[in-house]
Amino acid sequence: MPGRIVEWIDQRFPLTSFVKHELTGYPTPRNLSYWWNFGFLAGFVLVLQVATGIFLAMHYKADVALSFDSIQHIMRDVNYGWLLRYMHAVGASAFFFVIFVHMARTLYYGSYRAPRELMWWTGQGLLLLLMATAFMGYLLPWGQMSFWGATVITNLFRATPFFGDQIVIWLRGDFTVGDATLTRFFSLHYLMPFIIFGAVLIHLVALHTVKSSNPSGINLADKDNIPFHPYFTTKDLYGLGIFLIIYSIFVFFIPNSLIEPANNIPANPMQTPNHIVPEWYFLPFYAILRSVPNLVGGVLAMGLSVIIFAFMPFLDRSRIPGGARYRPIYKLRFYLFVLDMFILGYVGYVPPTTQTILIGQIATVIYFASYFIIPFISVKEDAWLFKRGLPPEVMALIEKEALDKEERKQKRLRRQGDIT
Amino acid sequence: MRTLLKIVLLSCISLSAWANEAVLDKVNLENDLKSIERGADTLMGACHSCHTLKYVHYRDLLNFGMDKQKVEAWRGDQPLDSALVAQMSEADAINMFGKAPPDLSLMVKAREGGPNYVYSYLLGYYQKPDGSTGNHIYPETKMPDILNSGGSTEGKQHAEVQAQARDIVSFLTWVSDPHEAERLRLGYYVIGYLIVLTTLLYFVKKQVWSKLN
Amino acid sequence: MSNTSSEPISEQLGDGNRRDFLIKVTSVVGGVGVAAACVPFVASMNPSTDVLAKAETEVDITDIPAGGVRTVAWQGKPVFIVHRTPEQIQSVSTTANALDPVPDSQRVQHPEWLVVVGVCTHMGCVPNKEGLGWTCHCHGSQYDDSGRVVRGPAPKNLEVPPYYFVSQNKIIIGKVA
Ligand code: HEM
Ligand code: FES
Repeated sequence: MPGRIVEWIDQRFPLTSFVKHELTGYPTPRNLSYWWNFGFLAGFVLVLQVATGIFLAMHYKADVALSFDSIQHIMRDVNYGWLLRYMHAVGASAFFFVIFVHMARTLYYGSYRAPRELMWWTGQGLLLLLMATAFMGYLLPWGQMSFWGATVITNLFRATPFFGDQIVIWLRGDFTVGDATLTRFFSLHYLMPFIIFGAVLIHLVALHTVKSSNPSGINLADKDNIPFHPYFTTKDLYGLGIFLIIYSIFVFFIPNSLIEPANNIPANPMQTPNHIVPEWYFLPFYAILRSVPNLVGGVLAMGLSVIIFAFMPFLDRSRIPGGARYRPIYKLRFYLFVLDMFILGYVGYVPPTTQTILIGQIATVIYFASYFIIPFISVKEDAWLFKRGLPPEVMALIEKEALDKEERKQKRLRRQGDIT
Repeated sequence: MRTLLKIVLLSCISLSAWANEAVLDKVNLENDLKSIERGADTLMGACHSCHTLKYVHYRDLLNFGMDKQKVEAWRGDQPLDSALVAQMSEADAINMFGKAPPDLSLMVKAREGGPNYVYSYLLGYYQKPDGSTGNHIYPETKMPDILNSGGSTEGKQHAEVQAQARDIVSFLTWVSDPHEAERLRLGYYVIGYLIVLTTLLYFVKKQVWSKLN
Repeated sequence: MSNTSSEPISEQLGDGNRRDFLIKVTSVVGGVGVAAACVPFVASMNPSTDVLAKAETEVDITDIPAGGVRTVAWQGKPVFIVHRTPEQIQSVSTTANALDPVPDSQRVQHPEWLVVVGVCTHMGCVPNKEGLGWTCHCHGSQYDDSGRVVRGPAPKNLEVPPYYFVSQNKIIIGKVA
């Protein structure tokens, strides 16, 4: 019977061939490591957030007089409401964790390089959407951190030339963060995840066009590709199991470690908490904001620090595939960058003192410098590595790429010749 | 690298300096019904005149299993469904202390240090040379030394006050997260299950991949 | 799993069987987990404890005068508590007019006190107290002072909720003693 239904559908819609071609039979490099699990995990967390979010929204009330109470209603009275809320709150952190690892993987192995630039840029778009979604969600419980976080972040737009103040008021729909802000944030917080779904779809269509990269950096011959199912379904599910164990430890045993104590105090527009900090996933960027002693400069630096990822395909001029795998200097740069992120995160967390501000400023300079030196180190490193010698299959690939490029150029020239 | 190390070290030092602003005593919470009920009793006598617990209702105390007679005595003629609202009105309180006493339902969760903070604060009173009382943990507090911790620094009396504070904090901890016990219990099952499932998945993955070579 | 050594082909088969078995067990365990994970989501849509708390309503009936009616909310529905006068009790002593004949004695615990859910059994409007009994203005049904329907279209008598007297002047609706 199911066979007949599938047959009926197949005559009208390419169901079986789609599943076979794009899902189960999708040719995947056999040497993908566990670092390649994180894309799947991100998709899983997205579904988890939407599921818990929809059920929370059945009990949540977006109204400054009711929000805080409705969260307590969820935590105390709703059946398993505490579980839904902790799953959602921890899930937001899990989402960023998974995405950060996913991005670090991409940076390390150079997966952003041609022909995967569009994947990198859609990924960048996803990061921005995720940040916006999480930021707006964080206002919803209407605690002290929610309120002051939203106040500070909406005030960033004061840096806009000419219309700064008007834009801030327009964003809030009020002179301060108020009822209008809360209701629009709820509306958008509900909407954005579905836009994220759409963006994920584009991300995946691009992936299926250019195919997965792999740790060796070498485009594997067809014999080294294996079907996604059953090999990567089982590998992804095993990885999911590990992820869920860690996630559950947070949800069931230390959920409050991810919720700032001050967010258990209702929002009070008349009093700012002594120590306001954003969620951990914003800390490095927040530290960069605080490191620049000027409103506009700080905002620009922070914006640039997030957008700068997008320039990676242009900055990295190396012709050697595989990212850090064959490139010791690029590898060093990668680890320094990660370390710098941790330092910035720490600086963003502690209250500003002259000491931490200085550390933050040094780390900020290192942050940007680590990008600006990439074009230089990638060229110099290439020269050095070519002289020292690279594995033959890597050399072969580089030569092939150079030939392809040449051929494309010739073709283009010929075509132009034909026309004129 | 050396400078980096120095920076990291410096950072650690400044972190600990900041965390040590006030040294908190550690409280050994008891989360059995009896201590929580004792804590409720003390709280209803000592704190409830001024502090509200707006997210806690008399019915919640009954559902938790507290003694029916006690709950009836506490609620008087208020309905079971009503919250634990302070006896003193907020206006009166502001008149008297210059500041409204905060709601206690989430107090343990709302302070850095959690139960330890509340415990240390309740016991943090001391007698100043000029006869007035101060508090080590929260010097600006407007609340009087309810448990008389400043006046009972020795022997049996001291131990009694400590026990009272511990009971109150046990109650407030339960109240701030009433499903905590259930959450922990469920957590063991969920994680136990996930370990079994993940082990199975590991073997499935291994078997499937073993075909490749 | 036992026939691995007999024939060359069975070696593969045996392995295949073992694999199938492992996959089956894992699928069942995983399926149970997914089903269990749905429980909190489904359960969260059931009435929460504060709603359930409204399942019982405590009413002090001291100050309802003879002949008076008090309407209280029970589970969000109106409940009429009538302090009946001898005249009212007299008016319902027979089942002559009732369309759904039940003796008054089966509908009350004390003759002076009638407790009924004020929801018309026709389409759910709230009937109005008019003289002896109630009239429902939606479609004209009439009830007597025992809450029994005396004129259609309502098919049944007003429902008597579970309740009991905690003391002489206090009742709890929603629960029997
Ligand atoms: C991309 C996915 C999502 C992310 C990253 C996210 C993130 C967040 C965050 C950080 C909070 C504040 C958590 C807290 O401290 O309590 C929150 C709250 C909330 N979110 Fe989401 N969310 C997502 C999707 C959704 C969806 C699809 C809905 C559905 C309508 C939703 C509904 C809610 C509600 C009602 C709250 C308030 C309850 C609460 O604070 O726990 N979320 N979200
Ligand atoms: S609803 Fe009362 S008569 Fe129809």
